Amino acid sequence: MGKDLILKTLRHEKVDEVAWVPFSGVHAGFLKGFTAREVLTDGDKLFDSLMEVHKLYTPDGMPVIFDLQIEAEILGCELLWAEDNPPSVMTHPFAGELKVPCKCKIPKITDGRIPMVVDVMKRLKAAVGDDTALYGLICGPVTLASHIRGSEFFMDIIMYPEYVKELVGFCVEVCNAMSEYYIDAGMDIIALVDPLISQISPKSIEALFLEPFQAAFDFIRNKGALSSFFVCGDATVQMDVMCRTNPDGISVDENVNLVDAKKITDKYNITIEGNIPLTTTMLFGNQQDNMKFIVDMLDNIDHHNLIVSPGCDMPYYVPIDNTVATVQAIKQTDSVRKMIENYEAVDENIQIDLPDYENLDKPFIEIFTLDSATCAACTYMVKGIMLAKDEFGDKVDIEEYKYTNKNDIARVKKMGVEHLPSTYINGKLQWSSIIPGKQELLEVVGKYL
Amino acid sequence: MIKITDLGQFVIDGNESSIVENVNLLVAAKADPIAIINEGLLGGMNVVGEKFKNGEMFVPEVLMAARAMNAGMAIVKPLIADKDMPSLGTVVIGTVKGDLHDIGKNLVVMMLESAGFKVIDVGIDAKIEQFVAAVKENNADIVGMSAMLTTTMTYMQEVIKACEAEGLNVQYLVGGAPLTSGYCEKIGAIYASDASGAVDAARQLAAVTAVEK
Repeated sequence: MGKDLILKTLRHEKVDEVAWVPFSGVHAGFLKGFTAREVLTDGDKLFDSLMEVHKLYTPDGMPVIFDLQIEAEILGCELLWAEDNPPSVMTHPFAGELKVPCKCKIPKITDGRIPMVVDVMKRLKAAVGDDTALYGLICGPVTLASHIRGSEFFMDIIMYPEYVKELVGFCVEVCNAMSEYYIDAGMDIIALVDPLISQISPKSIEALFLEPFQAAFDFIRNKGALSSFFVCGDATVQMDVMCRTNPDGISVDENVNLVDAKKITDKYNITIEGNIPLTTTMLFGNQQDNMKFIVDMLDNIDHHNLIVSPGCDMPYYVPIDNTVATVQAIKQTDSVRKMIENYEAVDENIQIDLPDYENLDKPFIEIFTLDSATCAACTYMVKGIMLAKDEFGDKVDIEEYKYTNKNDIARVKKMGVEHLPSTYINGKLQWSSIIPGKQELLEVVGKYL
Repeated sequence: MIKITDLGQFVIDGNESSIVENVNLLVAAKADPIAIINEGLLGGMNVVGEKFKNGEMFVPEVLMAARAMNAGMAIVKPLIADKDMPSLGTVVIGTVKGDLHDIGKNLVVMMLESAGFKVIDVGIDAKIEQFVAAVKENNADIVGMSAMLTTTMTYMQEVIKACEAEGLNVQYLVGGAPLTSGYCEKIGAIYASDASGAVDAARQLAAVTAVEK
């Protein structure tokens, strides 16, 4: 895994592979069966979930928490919690009044959920920080200002620009305080996540927000960390002014044409991050869709100053195998390109004789993988299932089929395997993407003996 | 005194005070209130819609324009009998259950009103019962739904099923960050990617419903 790869990419140095950062916010909880609310409020559950992200998705870099409401909650916004999403801001403390919060309200390291977040950052740093770059995500100053003021903030931009400058100035001080806490806790990169930027004209950004953002990114730089500017929505026309805020990287979602946007970021020597479609590809697509998207993306874009990541915070229910396929496509692009070709080329001419599953002499365990030699999740699946061999010896047969092999692809098709890695026993799907614990494995296999 | 058609530019500029001043002057000069709406205020908002769609105007500017237009409407509306108010149809709209995001939905509301639709806004976190009741009460033509989250967008299909179960003759118009046209097609709704697109789609849907009704 490549912490160095991320750091070098964000420092615009030459690298020989493409870096990968899964934005597993609430989705991290899905990997361990925890709700969104649990991973955003319970440090132990968050830490366990992040370790699972690290294990299954082999990231070069990863965020610790993706919740743009942490600062707003401390500043007096009430939140509506959900079990499969980050919370939403329900109330805005300064709705109806043109006021700026007192500086005494700038979050302290002991406020709200910050102690939990900082503790998890330190634990994650100790556990995986040597090989994985860690991202501390902070609510950007413009989105934070809108949390404080409500949707009136949009008209304030035109009607009360001086007030907006003052309010956003306060929010930058909040960002700086948060940056300091997170950098001190070991974060390598601080990302200011400001989805609302795509809804504001470049002219207004230039007049009101350019300098505050520059100050925030300077602060991060002076503290010795790298920086990134995350935006959501169609920020095509805002790309140029975003570049002039001087972050080390800019992250965009699928609403932005990455190839075109990169021409702009390259002009400023800024690294671009993005932009796997969250819904159509990651959530509702299959492994083929995800692999194809990545291969197409990497075939059509210059790899210098590039980090591949989801467009934004991954939806909670993204199928694990879709992300596993994504990692494989980023890290083993040539072999995945071949897999896709083989999948499309494989036809009914390859004869696959499936065994008579109803009348086997002994249990037959079949593991279907992308390739256990290169795909971490597949490796864990194979290793995990092989424990049955250690326990039961010749009483069970175990076979791995790899997606790199045409015959095995034909078998995948004939068996109707939808997710890789998967394990079947006697022709029936037993585990899809989820690697069983030893006890569960032995119990299940034991029933077939 | 300015011409009615000149009001449009004040709307585009979001210049509320000039709208108020000039609409009052036009009314005092016995200008036709319906012409003030159609040729002046709505004409301006149509341009705003186009500019928004083309990335020439953004949310703050559109909100200012809508505010200026509404100030003009407030002056002329009392002068027009309800039955004479121009209306393209009735839209019941809301952000679906579990979702509080309303910036996009509010923009769509304003743009639809500006285009001449009667809009019933059932607000945020809106449940099936609220949509169904509002459609029945207002004999609506279109149900508009907004969602910002991948988990709340699935509720749109439940609303559609409930409306169908009630036998309501309405069309469905949906939008929001996680939605795609493919998904919307699957649930039997028309997708709009932005507020201007919502108005265009609503015009087409209203025409269909008008024929059916």
